[in-house]
Amino acid sequence: MISEGNDKTMDTDMALVTEIRKGDKKAFAELVERHKKTAFRIALGLVGNKDDAFDISQEAFLRVYRSASTYDEKQPFQPWFYTIIANLSRTWLRRRSRRENRMVDLDDVSWLLVDNRTPEAAVINKEKVADLRQALKELSFEDREIIMLQHFRGMSYDEIAQLLSIPKGTVMSRLYYARKKLAGLMRLKNGEK
Amino acid sequence: MVKNRREMLAGYVDGELSDEERQAFEAALAQDPELRAELEEFKRLQEVTGVMQYADLPDEVWDNYWQSIYRKTERGFGWILLSLGAIILLCFGLYEVMRELYVDSQIPLWVKIGVTAGGVGFIILLVSYIRERLFAYNRTRYKEVIK
Repeated sequence: MISEGNDKTMDTDMALVTEIRKGDKKAFAELVERHKKTAFRIALGLVGNKDDAFDISQEAFLRVYRSASTYDEKQPFQPWFYTIIANLSRTWLRRRSRRENRMVDLDDVSWLLVDNRTPEAAVINKEKVADLRQALKELSFEDREIIMLQHFRGMSYDEIAQLLSIPKGTVMSRLYYARKKLAGLMRLKNGEK
Repeated sequence: MVKNRREMLAGYVDGELSDEERQAFEAALAQDPELRAELEEFKRLQEVTGVMQYADLPDEVWDNYWQSIYRKTERGFGWILLSLGAIILLCFGLYEVMRELYVDSQIPLWVKIGVTAGGVGFIILLVSYIRERLFAYNRTRYKEVIK
């Protein structure tokens, strides 16, 4: 799932939201503690700016707190929480960008970095990294979303399907077309040089 | 079984195909040079994304994360109280103004009618707006999260 965990984690999340409904701030603090980094990283993948991702993640938790009473206890917590983050990110992008739901270039190149702990990092072409960063910004929100979940969150197709409430076949299809566009954008940038 | 061979390419790269699907895809791959070229392109893409990671924030930012949210929840409660107080005072002020208006015989009738019409119109619009919002609220799941 979007946060590291298992069925027990999911049960605990739901139990915490039930407690938050009763006004339990300790339960809210625990929920924040469990998901704060995940919330930030998801928002970062969607908007591509650390400051805004931080604000979006905080606002997402406030929405959870305020709308806990409307939470459907039959549904798992994480897809609900993801929907909140994705909607906030969409709204943020719509406000900031003339191109609907596209990332805006705020010269924040530090949102996506080379992981130097990996052995492959030493031989990776730095230009390709810059191209990828830029190409991701040019993708549509939906394409970037599916790439973010699979490539950078490392989620399986089943997990993505559950999170986005779509069939597994649709995950595969969306990933194919998103990758095609991403590869095309990178090819284009490479050809421009 | 996934119908579209090209779409299966994503599942093949990620190891998400069933044995049957994988065999069917590999058979198609052997006969389709374009598909092979796409596969290579996807692999190259994975090589680049595989060494990337999202940035993190300094520890002190995470240490203060909860405090920042907690302060915002307190502020939210403050805003509710402030709004409630303002509404009560506004209603009382309006009541006093209207009472003076109708009691005072010096004020011409047409002014009283105009103010009454304006007030009734405002109330109708307000009720209509609230009703519309409630209607949407009762029919939208996770309504608070959708802006």
